[in-house]
Amino acid sequence: MGASSLIVLAIAGIVFSAGGMMIAKIFVKGTKNPQKGQAYESGIKSTGTTWSQFNVGYYLFALVFLVFDVELVFLYPWAVVVKSVGITALIEIIIFIFILFMGFLYAHKKGALKWI
Amino acid sequence: MILNDFFIFMKQELMLLFIIFLLLLIKVGKDRSNESLLYLINLLLLINVIAGFILPGEGSLFSDMFRTNPLIALEKNMLNIGTLIISMQSYSWLKSHKHLLEFYILMISTLLGMFYMISSGNLLMFYLGLELSSIPLAALVNFDLEKKASSEAAMKFILSSAFSSGLLLFGVSLIYGTTGSLAYAEITSHLSTDPLQIFAFVLFLAGFAFKISAVPFHFWTADVYEGAPVAITSYLSVISKGAVLFVFVSVLYTVFKPLADVWYGMLFVLSISTIIIGNLFAIRQDNFKRFLAFSSIAQVGFILVGISGSSSMGTAAVIYFVLIYIFSNLGAFGVVSIVSSLTGKERISDYKSFYKTNPFLSWILTIALFSLAGVPPAAGFFGKFFLLIAGAEKGNYLLISIAALNMIVSFYYYLRIVKSVFMEPNESPIESLTIPLISKVALYICLLGIVILGLWSVVYDYIFTLSPIF
Amino acid sequence: MITQYLFYFLTFTAIFCALLVVFSKNPIYSALYLIVTFFATAGHYFLLNAQFLGAVHVIVYAGAIMVLFIYVIMMLNLNKEVEPHKSNIIKIAATVCGGILGLVLIAALRETELGEITEYSNNGIGLIEKLGNVLFGAYMVPFEISTVLFLSAMVGAVFLSKKNIH
Repeated sequence: MGASSLIVLAIAGIVFSAGGMMIAKIFVKGTKNPQKGQAYESGIKSTGTTWSQFNVGYYLFALVFLVFDVELVFLYPWAVVVKSVGITALIEIIIFIFILFMGFLYAHKKGALKWI
Repeated sequence: MILNDFFIFMKQELMLLFIIFLLLLIKVGKDRSNESLLYLINLLLLINVIAGFILPGEGSLFSDMFRTNPLIALEKNMLNIGTLIISMQSYSWLKSHKHLLEFYILMISTLLGMFYMISSGNLLMFYLGLELSSIPLAALVNFDLEKKASSEAAMKFILSSAFSSGLLLFGVSLIYGTTGSLAYAEITSHLSTDPLQIFAFVLFLAGFAFKISAVPFHFWTADVYEGAPVAITSYLSVISKGAVLFVFVSVLYTVFKPLADVWYGMLFVLSISTIIIGNLFAIRQDNFKRFLAFSSIAQVGFILVGISGSSSMGTAAVIYFVLIYIFSNLGAFGVVSIVSSLTGKERISDYKSFYKTNPFLSWILTIALFSLAGVPPAAGFFGKFFLLIAGAEKGNYLLISIAALNMIVSFYYYLRIVKSVFMEPNESPIESLTIPLISKVALYICLLGIVILGLWSVVYDYIFTLSPIF
Repeated sequence: MITQYLFYFLTFTAIFCALLVVFSKNPIYSALYLIVTFFATAGHYFLLNAQFLGAVHVIVYAGAIMVLFIYVIMMLNLNKEVEPHKSNIIKIAATVCGGILGLVLIAALRETELGEITEYSNNGIGLIEKLGNVLFGAYMVPFEISTVLFLSAMVGAVFLSKKNIH
C-alpha cells in the first residue's frame, strides 16, 4: 500500500467531516431569515458591499512569510543529511540563511513589517 | 586547489554578489546622499569591469553545473561594460531618484542571473539564471513610480516573461523526459530527431524567441520599451538581449547540434519575419523609445541570420555584432536618456534641428545611428557584414538577399532621424543641455567603441580564435 | 489496484478543478478551486512515493502561495463586474491555436517510440535523504542562486509597495 494509504486516509478524513456536516444538515431543523444571515445579528445593520480594497500591507506580510516558509522547507532535508554531507552542508546553509536574512533586514528597514 | 578554482572561475559572479550585499548593507544603514553613492557605485562597477579581464580561467565546477572559459569570460566582460555605460548615462536621472540603491541592487541581481545563465552546464541552472535575470527586471521596468505607463509596462513584462518561461519549462520537461538528463553533455548524446524531442525543442525555441523578441513573439517589446524608464529600456534592449543571445548561440551550436537541420528551418522563418516586421514597424514610429524597440527587433533578425548559417564563423560573428550593438545602441540610448531626463521629451519630432542647440549630442546620435544602420565606416557595417557571411554558409541566398534588401530599407528610417536632427526647422527646439561629466565620458566610450571596433580588426580576430568550431 | 483507481481519481479532480479555475467568474472561487488542484497534484506526488515533495506542495503552494493569491485578489479588488469583455474572435483564435498545439503534441507523442518504461520500483527516489543529498551535493549552486532570486524578488516587491518610504 505504501503512500496510497495516506491518500485513502485523506479521502476518509474528507468523507467523515463532510458526512458529519451532511447529517447535521439533514437532522437539524433550521430557520432562515435575512437577519440571521447578517454579520452582527441584532447589531448595527451592515451597509455597502463586502468587497473592499485591502491594504498592500497584507500582501507584504504574506510575501515575507512565503519566503521564510520556503526557507524552512529547505531546512528540513538539510537537517536530515547534514551529518552525511558534512561541513559543506553547514557552509551552504549559513550562506543561504545569511542571504535571506539580508532580505529580511531590507524589509524591516523599509517598514514592510510595520502595520499600515 | 578546489577552493582556488572556485575563486578564479567564479570571480565575476562573486564580485557582483559582493556589490549586491554591499549595497544592501548601505541601504540598511544610515541614509547617504545620492551623489556620493552614485560615484561609489560607478567606481565599483568600473572595478568590476577591470577585475573581469584578469585571469580568465577555463574549467568547470560542481559536477559541470558551472563552466567557464575565456570566451564566456569575454561575454561577461562585455555585459559588464554595457552595464557600466548605462549606469553612467543614467546619472542625471538617478541623481534625484529616491530609490537609487534598489535600482542597482535589482539591476546587478539580473546581471548575476545572466552570468549564471551564460556559464550554466545544466538546464536547471540555466532556467534559474533566466528567472533571476527576468523577475527583478519587472520591478525595474516599474521604476518610474509616478507614471502609470511604467506600471502597465511592468505588468505586461512580467506576464509575457512568465508565459515564455512556462513554454520554456514545458520544453525542458519534455527534453528531460525523452533524454533522461538535464546536463548539457548528456542531452546532446541522447538527442535524435524524435518527433517529441522536436516538439520539446520548438517550445524551448519559443521561450528563447520571447526573450530576444523575435517576431511572432515580439508583441510585448514595444509597449514595455516605451513605458519603462530609458535606462531600463536600454538595459533590456542591449544587456538582457545580448545575454540571451550568447546562451542561444552556444546552446544551439553545442547542445542541440544533433537537431541542426531542424532548427535551420525554424531560424530561417524567424529571421525573415523578424527583419521584415521590425523594419516595417520602425518606419512608422514617432516615439524614440518605440522606434529603438523596433530597430532592435530588426537587429535581432540579422543576428538570427548569422546564427542560422551554423558556420565556424557563427559564434564569433554574433558575439562581435553584439559587442558593436552594445556601443552603438547605448550611444543612441544615451542621448535619448539625457534628453528625456532633462527635458522629458521622447518624440522623434522633438529632435528637429537638435544640431543647432546640442551639436555634441547630435554627433553622437548620428554616429550611433549610422552604426546601427550599417553605413560603412562605422562598426555596425562590419558586424552585419560578418553576420551575413556567416549566414551565407548554407548557400541559402534567398535569406541573404532579403536581409541585404532590408538593410537598405533600414537606412531610410535611421537616416530620416539624422536628417531631421540636422536639417529640419523647428520653432521650439530642445534647449541647450548641460550634460553631467560622467554621462559625457560614457558617451565618449560609446563613440570610441564604435570607431575602434570598425577600424581595428584585432578584436574580431581575438573573438574568432576563442570561439569554438561548429 | 487501488493505486490505479487513486491515480484516475486524482487526475480527474485535478483537471476538472483546473477547468473550473479558468471558467469561474468570481476570482475567489478560482483561487479556491486552485487549492483543490494543488491538493490533487500533491496526491500524485504521494503516489510517486515522493512524500516530501507532496508535503511541501501542500505547505507552500496550497498554504502560503494561496494566501498570497487571495491577498492580491483582495488588493486589486477584482470584482465579478470588472472583468473586461474579450471579443469572440480572440477567444476563437486562442482556442484554435491551443487546439492545434495540443494536436501536434498528441501526434508527436504517438509517433515517438518511447523507451522501455521501467517498472516502478521502490528505490526511494523521492525520499528526503536522497533529495537532501542531491540538493546539497550536485545542485549546490542552483540552491544558492535560488536564494539570490528570493532576495531580489523580495526587494522588488517591498520597494514597489512601499515606494513612499525612503
